[in-house]
Amino acid sequence: MTYLFIILYAITLIYFALSERVKKFVWLLCMQGFMLFGIVFFSLHKIEIFDFIFILTETILVKSLIVPWFLNKVRKHNQLKRIQETSVPVFFSIIVVVLSLIFSFFLSNFLNSNQIHTKYFTVAFASIIFGIYFIIIHKNIFSHVVGYLIIENGTFLLSLAVGSVMPMMVNLAILLDVLMGVLVLGVFINRIGDAFESTKIDQLSSLKD
Amino acid sequence: MISLLLILISSLFFVGIIVKTKAKIAARKMPSVLQPVYDVVRLFKKGAVYSQTTSAIFKMAPLVYFASVFLAVLFIPIGSQKALLSFDGDFVFFAYLLGIGKFMMIIAAMDTGSGFEGMGANREALYSMLVEPAFFILVGSVALFTNNVSFQDLFLHLKLDTNLYYIIGIASIYVFVYIAMVENSRMPVDDPKTHLELTMVHEVMILDNSGFDLALIHIVTWLKFSIYGALISNFIISNSWAIYWQIAAFFGIQLAFSLTVGILEAFKARNKMEKNPQWIIMLSAISIVVFLTVLIITEKIILN
Amino acid sequence: MLSKAPKLTNYLVLKINMMIFIFIIFALFLSISIFISRNKLVNYFSVSLFSIALFALTIYSYIHINQFDSIYYKFDALGVLLTAVLSLLSLFSFYHSYLYLKRKSNNLKQKAQYYSTLILFITAMISAYFAENLALLWVCIEATSLFVSILIFHSRTKDALEATWKYLFISSVGLAIAFIGILFLSIVASQNGVNNLNFTNLIQAAQNMDILWVKIAFVLILTGLSVKISIFPLYAVAIDAKTIAATPVNALMSTALVNVGFVGIYRMYLIVAQTTTLIWAQHVLMLVGVLSILIATIQLTRVRRFKRLLAFSSMEHMGIVTIGLAIGGVGVYAAILHLIFHSFVKAGMFFQLGAIRNHFKSIWIKDTGNYFKINPLGAIALLLGVISILAIPPSGLFVSELLVFKALFFKNYLIAILVLILLSIIIYIIIKRFAHLLYADVADDLLNKEAQINPYENISQFILFGLVIYLGVNPPLFFTDLIHAAIAILN
Repeated sequence: MTYLFIILYAITLIYFALSERVKKFVWLLCMQGFMLFGIVFFSLHKIEIFDFIFILTETILVKSLIVPWFLNKVRKHNQLKRIQETSVPVFFSIIVVVLSLIFSFFLSNFLNSNQIHTKYFTVAFASIIFGIYFIIIHKNIFSHVVGYLIIENGTFLLSLAVGSVMPMMVNLAILLDVLMGVLVLGVFINRIGDAFESTKIDQLSSLKD
Repeated sequence: MISLLLILISSLFFVGIIVKTKAKIAARKMPSVLQPVYDVVRLFKKGAVYSQTTSAIFKMAPLVYFASVFLAVLFIPIGSQKALLSFDGDFVFFAYLLGIGKFMMIIAAMDTGSGFEGMGANREALYSMLVEPAFFILVGSVALFTNNVSFQDLFLHLKLDTNLYYIIGIASIYVFVYIAMVENSRMPVDDPKTHLELTMVHEVMILDNSGFDLALIHIVTWLKFSIYGALISNFIISNSWAIYWQIAAFFGIQLAFSLTVGILEAFKARNKMEKNPQWIIMLSAISIVVFLTVLIITEKIILN
Repeated sequence: MLSKAPKLTNYLVLKINMMIFIFIIFALFLSISIFISRNKLVNYFSVSLFSIALFALTIYSYIHINQFDSIYYKFDALGVLLTAVLSLLSLFSFYHSYLYLKRKSNNLKQKAQYYSTLILFITAMISAYFAENLALLWVCIEATSLFVSILIFHSRTKDALEATWKYLFISSVGLAIAFIGILFLSIVASQNGVNNLNFTNLIQAAQNMDILWVKIAFVLILTGLSVKISIFPLYAVAIDAKTIAATPVNALMSTALVNVGFVGIYRMYLIVAQTTTLIWAQHVLMLVGVLSILIATIQLTRVRRFKRLLAFSSMEHMGIVTIGLAIGGVGVYAAILHLIFHSFVKAGMFFQLGAIRNHFKSIWIKDTGNYFKINPLGAIALLLGVISILAIPPSGLFVSELLVFKALFFKNYLIAILVLILLSIIIYIIIKRFAHLLYADVADDLLNKEAQINPYENISQFILFGLVIYLGVNPPLFFTDLIHAAIAILN
């Protein structure tokens, strides 16, 4: 069952490359949250019950509900409907995401170490590469935050791949940090949207000498 | 033999059901399900008119088109019913049979010397080229999954026992539905009802065909839909079922497929022309995910 | 009674063993009380209380050196050194913040926000210095970037918005990359039976680690933390942020925050130093250091604002520190020495820049001049600062740079010559720009006529520059001992 959600997660990455509407980005982030929930639910039976419940709540509450809800609010505030400002045609983005998926699947085959759960590593690595790519090709700060969240989802999967090395307290702190980061970033998107009347990155280039 | 008959029977009703669904959704008065058949019969009664600029290719093309697709039908099994023809690697042959027909239609369209038809042919060629990897990767990964390389064995040995099979099944059905749409130049790629030559793809290619030729082209469209419906049904029908269940399931799936096409066409807007390539390449992307899934199942990629 | 006594002592030991947690809670309390009350008196009282607590913590950590403080913190020598630097700098920074806010506006709400965030920022940095756990260090660094972005945004202009956005976003992405590095490191750690990411355990287990993973982790963490330490590759956002931020905040951003980044990289360096891949890591660091100095030189030829000038100068000095790490041996000693001296000098320069800002309507280089006539005492402080920052004797930076270059000449004299040429260009540019400020004629309408000369403003700069000269010429024994203790694990 874990594989089902992993494959579905990979498909969400393809849809990220395909879609151009901001609304769809938020929706896909929400979907990714549910995929992560599924992955955790079907794979982490062995850990302690408290940790298990904590990670489940993290994925379902924070990743699939609170963050998308908040981003949706930000989107409505800035009246973002459609984003056409990709510097690369979608056609190539799809090829890039497919290549990164293939690469990371074969890389995890090559790793095959008993310290890493390579099944999570597959999509985790692809997700991180694609998140960085997503940030590079978009010219809108809202999409940049979406790309950041794709990277964060990738790191979450990577931490599953590594196993529960980190103590729960630190995990909790990291989660709070990310959440705070997204909230602060969202607030700043709103401020930029108010001050510059748009969220395009081109305007943010006055600090040069 | 049964599979050939089943496909031929279902093809008669396919387009009729699509039209009926669309009419129902748009709250229009519905024509009979057999209306496309009546249209074709009427066309058969008519003679063909040929432009003076066309050569023998133009007259030959619809026949070749029909013949190649009809030949392709012979390779499709249904459930435990064997196909008439089968050999190793026949799915490649199948794909290129469809390709030959399409090629003839494209050069026939160029043969007329009309600018519009050339444009339509250009687009049709591009979309077929883009959709080809999706088909091959998908069928190739299913072949890898079952370790067989002919349509018949491949579907006979498709087992429904792993969880991951459902991903392969669902994704394959999804991709095949849209391959069928692209191959038949239907909604997200092309709107068959459009009346503006600039935005047409398939319809503009056959502007010059009339009478008998046009009837053949219409029949080929039915057949193609039916072929893809049969392929999809093979992912669902298990060959352990009783024969009447298999036949009932086949018709049920064909009905569901035609209803799906009708609903999609009724609710979906046509893509922008420039969006089509990226949309079609997405199908290949999903087939690659299916391919990776198959690699995991068959333990070509070992994960822990 | 008897049965209760051991419990009580246990409790006390536990309590004392959590000094940094107590400090954090105390700081949070002060910060919140400032934020809620919005009262001048509460502001000043809390800030002075915080400064006292900071000094107390420094002394406490010096006494308890090399002891664990709960499992998450450890009072190690490097942390003690940098905390001492920070507690001195934050005291001055509070004073200059007071001056800055007095000149700028009278909005109590903004003032309260500023002070409470500044306290949290300093606390997060202290927590990062002493963090014994790699993941905890990451969390603290992320916290610093959140707090510092609020401080950058203090002026609430469009430019501030831009700088804040860029800083916050790029440092978040950078830290995400660093976190991936940490995860990779934890893979090799768990291979060797280390189940937490404590530095002590990691250093012990490092010898048997799989080199490939260590390399990947090192590069990723270096890339991620380069936002903080403002070296190549992710230097740009920190420069933009320093262009906008208030000078007292800048004084901490270019020094204490840079030190936070250094702590992260240095801890990683200690782990790598136990493995056979140290040479490779040193090559990487050398590359990064030389590239940083090169980029800083190129950028310095084009700067037109003093804040950017100082920010790029920080980048150059951090390049030298990185080269020091790359050399190893005496280079590491020199690197830490350089880091501390740079902290004092750069903070002093930024404080002085705050004073200069008062006399001119704009801080662009072309709009300034004749500072020697306007404020002679401040000009002397500035001149002393320029001499110090350029590592001209008697500045302490001269000593540390001399050590670095001596070692570098033995290691690879071609790189040494290249870096020296670049440094000469930098010296020329900086002298030219500051000479413009000090002596050039300036139009009357560019001056701020109402500005009053405040002689007390210069005290902190004289103290800092004097300290650098003193520590460079005649370093006290406890100071060198601390640095030696910090690098002891390498020998």
